[in-house]
Parts: sequence; C-alpha cells; structure tokens
Amino acid sequence: MIGQAFRQLKEAGVLGINNRNAEYIMGYNPRSRYPLVDNKVLTKRLAKEYGIPTPELYHVIEHHGSLKNLKAMLEGLNEFVVKPARGSGGSGIVLIAERTEQHFITQSKKPITLEYLSYHISDILSGIFSLQGQEDHAIIESLIHPDQTFAAVTYQGVPDVRIIVYRGIPAMAMVRLPTKDSDGKANLHRGAIGAGIELSTGKTITAVHKSQIVTHHPDTGNPVSGLQVPHWDTMLSIAGLATDMTGLGYIGVDIVIDRDQGPVLLELNARPGLAIQMANKHGLLKKLEHIDAAPADIFAIPEKRIAWARENL
Amino acid sequence: MKRPAVLLVFGLCILTTILLLYRIMRLGYPVLPAVSGRAFNFKFDGHIKSSGSDTTLSVALPLERPGLVISEEYFGSGSLSFSLIKKESGRYGVWTGQTGPDGEIVSYWATILVRSPVTAKLKPPVLDGYPSSISKDEQAAAEKITDRFKSLSLPNRIRSILQLAGSIRNRSPSEGHELGFIKRMDEKYDRSILLLTLFRAASIPARTVEGISLTEGVIARPLKWIDAWNGQKWESISIDGQEVIKDQASLLALTFTGTQVVHVSGGSIHDIRWDINRQIIGTWRHNYEHISRSERFLDRWSLFRLPVEFQQTFRILLLVPIGALLISILRNIIGFPTFGIFMPVLMALSFRNTGLIYGLCIFAGVILIGYTARRFLDRLRLLLVPRMSVLLTLVIVCFTLLALLGNKFGLRQVMAVGLLPFVILVMTIERFFVVVEEHGIGTALQTAAGSAAVAIITYLIISWETLQLTFFIYPELLLAIGALQILVGRYTGYRLSELFRFREFRNRS
Repeated sequence: MIGQAFRQLKEAGVLGINNRNAEYIMGYNPRSRYPLVDNKVLTKRLAKEYGIPTPELYHVIEHHGSLKNLKAMLEGLNEFVVKPARGSGGSGIVLIAERTEQHFITQSKKPITLEYLSYHISDILSGIFSLQGQEDHAIIESLIHPDQTFAAVTYQGVPDVRIIVYRGIPAMAMVRLPTKDSDGKANLHRGAIGAGIELSTGKTITAVHKSQIVTHHPDTGNPVSGLQVPHWDTMLSIAGLATDMTGLGYIGVDIVIDRDQGPVLLELNARPGLAIQMANKHGLLKKLEHIDAAPADIFAIPEKRIAWARENL
Repeated sequence: MKRPAVLLVFGLCILTTILLLYRIMRLGYPVLPAVSGRAFNFKFDGHIKSSGSDTTLSVALPLERPGLVISEEYFGSGSLSFSLIKKESGRYGVWTGQTGPDGEIVSYWATILVRSPVTAKLKPPVLDGYPSSISKDEQAAAEKITDRFKSLSLPNRIRSILQLAGSIRNRSPSEGHELGFIKRMDEKYDRSILLLTLFRAASIPARTVEGISLTEGVIARPLKWIDAWNGQKWESISIDGQEVIKDQASLLALTFTGTQVVHVSGGSIHDIRWDINRQIIGTWRHNYEHISRSERFLDRWSLFRLPVEFQQTFRILLLVPIGALLISILRNIIGFPTFGIFMPVLMALSFRNTGLIYGLCIFAGVILIGYTARRFLDRLRLLLVPRMSVLLTLVIVCFTLLALLGNKFGLRQVMAVGLLPFVILVMTIERFFVVVEEHGIGTALQTAAGSAAVAIITYLIISWETLQLTFFIYPELLLAIGALQILVGRYTGYRLSELFRFREFRNRS
C-alpha cells in the first residue's frame, strides 16, 4: 500500500524534501553563495548591479550604538519598513504606514512609540530573528504599496509572487495571498493562500490554502483563479537573472508589485519550499527534469531561456 | 544514488565483515557473545573474634559441577592465615590465627559461571550405611515398608518414598506395625534423617547437602536439601516441601553429608552473610581471559584492555551512534520532527542516571516551567544572550529544588537531576517556545512527543546489555552503523510524512 503511494507521487513528478536537499540544493547551490541571498543588504546591492529594482534602502543599522541616532534617521520618513537583514519566514518585520506626533502607526493600525521601535531594532541586532541566531543588521527601507490587482483576494499585507528558478529557467510560479489566518503575512505555512501561475500566460490556475485546494479567498470570498498577474514579462526576466546574479542553480525569487514602481525584487531564497507544487497542482520534479532535457544552447542567454520556459513548461 | 556514496557504504560493510569473520574464525570469538550463560558474584563474609587461644574458622566454598564453573576466587584474611582444604565432603577455606580485640572480617569472593548443563555421564555413587542414629529395629521397619518399592525404577522409587514421607503425619499408627515405627521416627528425628533412612532402605544412594540458592540477594544461613541418585544424576529434594526441586541449576552445593558450612573453634563468628549478585560481563570475561594475554593485534587493541572503570563508559558510548542513526531515520525517512538533532540522544544518556519515568517527568516538568517563564520573559523583551542566561538560571534553580525535594523524600533518581543536560534543556525551552509561536502548540507537542519517543527508544537501546556487549567485543560494527547512516543520508525518496502532505497528487492519479 505504501509502495503504491510512493509510486503515485513519483508518477505525479512530486519533488520530495530529501530529493530537493540532496540533488538540487546540495547539487546546485554552493554554500559560499548563501550569504548573497541570506543577507538582504547584499541581495539589494547585487540586484542594483543587474538593474533589478528593490525597495529603496534608507538605512542599515549595524550596531546598538547607532540606535541613539534612530530619531534623526527616521526624520522625514512617514512610511517605512524595518526588517532584519538575515531574517527568515517574515519574522521581525514591522511595517510603518503613517506617523503622528507621538507615534508610528503600523499597517495594521497599531500605534507604537519610537522607544518600542528602538527595542525592536535592538532585538534584530542581537539576532533574535536571524536564521541561526547570529548577530544581525537591521534594514530600514521603503514601504511597498501593493498593486490593486490582487486587492480583492488579499486580507491586509502584501501579496507576492514566488518563482522557482532552476539553472536560470523559471520552473514554477505562484502568487501568495495573505489571509486573516496568516496575519497579513505571505507565508504559506502561516496560512496564506498560494495560487499557481501558468508560466506562459501569467494567469492564476488553482490555489491551495493549508494543504487544501480552494477556489475562493476564505476572507474576501472572491475567486482566486483566472487572475492575470500584471507585468508578467518583467517578472520572468527578473527571475531569469537570479541564477546569473547569485550563482545559485536552484533558487526561489520573491517579487512584489508596487503601485508605482512595478515589480520589485523582495528577496531570494536558497531553500525554497515545496508547497508551490500544491498551488500548481503539478509536480516540480517533472519540470526540473524537463529543464535538464532542454537544448543546451538556450542556457547562455536569459531571453532564450525564458522564451523556452514559456513555451515548454 | 551517487556512486562514491555507494562505494563507501560497500567498502565499510566489507571491512566490517572481514573484521568480524577474522575475529570469529581466527581468534575464536563467539558469534553471539552475550548468550553464553549467567554469571554470579558469590561473596561470603563474616566477623570473627578470637576467645583467647588460636582460632580456626572453616567455611565451605562453592564446588564445581557439570554446568557450573568457578572462575576467579579471592580471599580476604586480614591478619589470619588462610589455607584451602579439599575433603570428600567439600572444599573448605580455613582461616587460622588470632584476631585483635575487635575481631577481623574474613571474606571470600568468587565468580561462578552457569553454563548450559552438560549431560556428562556420572559415576554411580556407592550406597552408604544408615545414618548413625538409626537403630536396627528402625532399619528393619524402613526396609519392610519400602520393600514394595523395590520393583520400581529409581526415579519412581524416589517419588514413592517422597509420597510416603509426605503422608506419614496424617496416617494412623494402627495401619501397621512398621508405619507406627516410621511415624515415631518422624517425631524423633530430623526430617532429613527420616528421608535418608527411607532412601537407604530402598537402596537409593542419598546425601544431605547444604548450600545456597543462586538468586540475587543476601542470605544469612545456608539452605539444606537432600540429593537422591536416580540412576543418572542426583535429584535435589527439598526437605520441607518433600518434592524434587526442578530448577536444580539454581542450587549451589557447599557441603555434603551433614558437615557444617561454617564451623569455628576457639572463637566466635557473627554477621555471616552470603551475597549473590548477577553479573553479565563476567561470563564473557571468563571465556576471553586469553584476550588479555594474547599477543594478536586485534586482541591487544581490544577494548577489554582498557581499565575497567573506562570500559563501562565505552559500552554505552559505542551504542550512541545507533541513537543518532535512529534520529536520521525518523527525520529523513519518516519525516517526524524532533527538537534539535541530538537532543533526544543526550536525553537518553541522562536517563541512565534518573531512570526513564523520572527522567521523562523531570524533562516535561522543567520544559513546562521554562515555557511559562519564557512567555513571561517575552514581555520583558530581553536580548538573546541575557534571555538564555535567565532561562539557564531558571533551569538550575529547578534542578536545585528537585534535588532538595528528592533528598527530602529519599528519591535518589530525583537527586540525580543534576546530570541532566541543562544546556540542552535551555535550548529546548527556547525551541519549544519558537515552535509554539510560529507553528502552533500542536506542532510543538508533536515535536516534543517525537523527541521523547526517540529518547525512550535510544535509552532502551543503550541499556540493552546484549547489544552493549556485542558492540564492545566487535567495535567494528560502528563502521556498519556509519554505512547505514550514509545510506540514510543518500535517501532521496519521499518521506512517509510527504505521502500525507502531497496526498492531493495521489488522489488524482
């Protein structure tokens, strides 16, 4: 019985976590390149070299000592985001949407004081939110104003598009829609919805919410499939550069769409999760093997790779 | 699977097999080292005090017999002189001399190995005379009453006599002249004398034996039983129960034919005790004493050459990789989460001091207290390192209170709390808190249950003496464990948990 279950997954081309770690992450992601994606300051710098837009960086706070200048740093900034440079899973991020005399107002309308913000940054610096608990830096960057396309299927927060890129070729994509459960965060394991995207057209197909296939957003009640992702061409070309940028062969690219700036690279992930398969109702292994069988001459040129992906995947 | 990994696994397995075969075929190691039998530590001690003149103490010592081997013997004689005397009735340790005013402790220590009984043919014993206290008339009566058993086989004769002796008190003397005689003998003499007389009358060689039972414990006075010859071997018969003792292997004879086990002249002896302890390693030690003398390379580099106090540590350490292998399997093949990678192994090691139940309870309790505290600390917004320090202090405070409580209630296992891995506990509290925050209490409890399960299984494995001994004798088995770990490391198939996670894909096809 178990043997049959294994075969069914194999036939569906599902990528399991052991296979992902052993063959794809260990096989294509050299450890020395991890800092480029684990540290968002480095990612931003790299993206700039490749002409890829990222949220505008206002300040990087490296030492507890700099905190006494926090007030001055935030002078004139009415909306901004504080996040750990090496955070993971969206933890430690504070979104400030407006400002009053005394308080900063978060996006979820909670007033906080400068003192609280200073404590929070201090936490970030001591590494509370960082991957292995090492000391960290805090980033203050511009706030994203999400494009209205997904407003009907988003509960607070910012939806983002995750594209898995293998050897420079976009292999699979989904859009992650925050829900009430996910507390406005776009992480699937926190309860966000993942809607698979057809690579050739940029239209959403099916969606998954807590491992269940869903057709409508649980909070807004609007359908989540058949939506056109705006700027799809631009997104694919950003994703297509991820491997060239980082030297990582198997990578997750997270892009948000800003109302004014258009697609903006939010972060890169050297260990992208496997839930994207559910969102697409399609096994990732099949796509990866398909890419391995692609004609050798396409790999050198980003445009060729993307054209091939849109046609074949 | 990658070729180098396969080659490495293959090589490790081959190497293990070669070493095992070499040890077994060339060096004569046992295939199943732990099955060789039971061993006991036999210890006698007593406090002897002279009353003026020279004192002589004679103590019967264990005797070898088929299936029973005495491997090592030590004597403690203090200022007395010691000699070993062999007589027909047994083997005696004799201490002579004069003790100080406070007396001396004398002791004897031996390792006794119980092997599977060998069915060697014994020489039939000679039929002795009647016990000296029996009169001619009584002999005649006994002969007459056992006359009807003469036609039976020896084993049946023994049973019939036991039946007769057992029923004698309930029978009325009017039933016959001889029965009356026997009944009077039963009242007059010790039960053993009656039985010996009846056996003698029925031409069955028999003897009284004093000895002890090979079961763990301390006894202050030897047992007494009767051996009767059944044509092939001695059958042991209890005197009070008047039945054949089935588990003869558990009896250890010290003297025969009524000689006293402990006899002292010119003084007195107190606090006599026999201390019997089961011992496992001793069996093996005896069989492989030659290892310590052998010049063969593998023997010279055997773990048995380590000082005994370090051997114990290695017997456990050698099994720890099995625990790690187990964790690899649980996490990478089954997909069950545990806290940290080796936390369950460290838990299992600490359970050796506290015991399983206490260990688990203490762990659960401390984590619960720690979690509550951690929730509170979260509001204080302490920085990482000081926060962990506070948790560490809390854990140590818990340990101290537990140790004091354990002392109050006399629970040694609870006092052993200090040997729990406190650093691991602190990190587990932090992990537990983070998992509760990020994935919910359900996942956290599941992870805790997974960790506890691995810890329990690992504890059972490292406490398994057979396995300890096997790995201790054949440390090359670690290479095979390593090979299995590599195999798990190269397992790129689905985890069992993924069958559930990706069930959508299965239902469709």
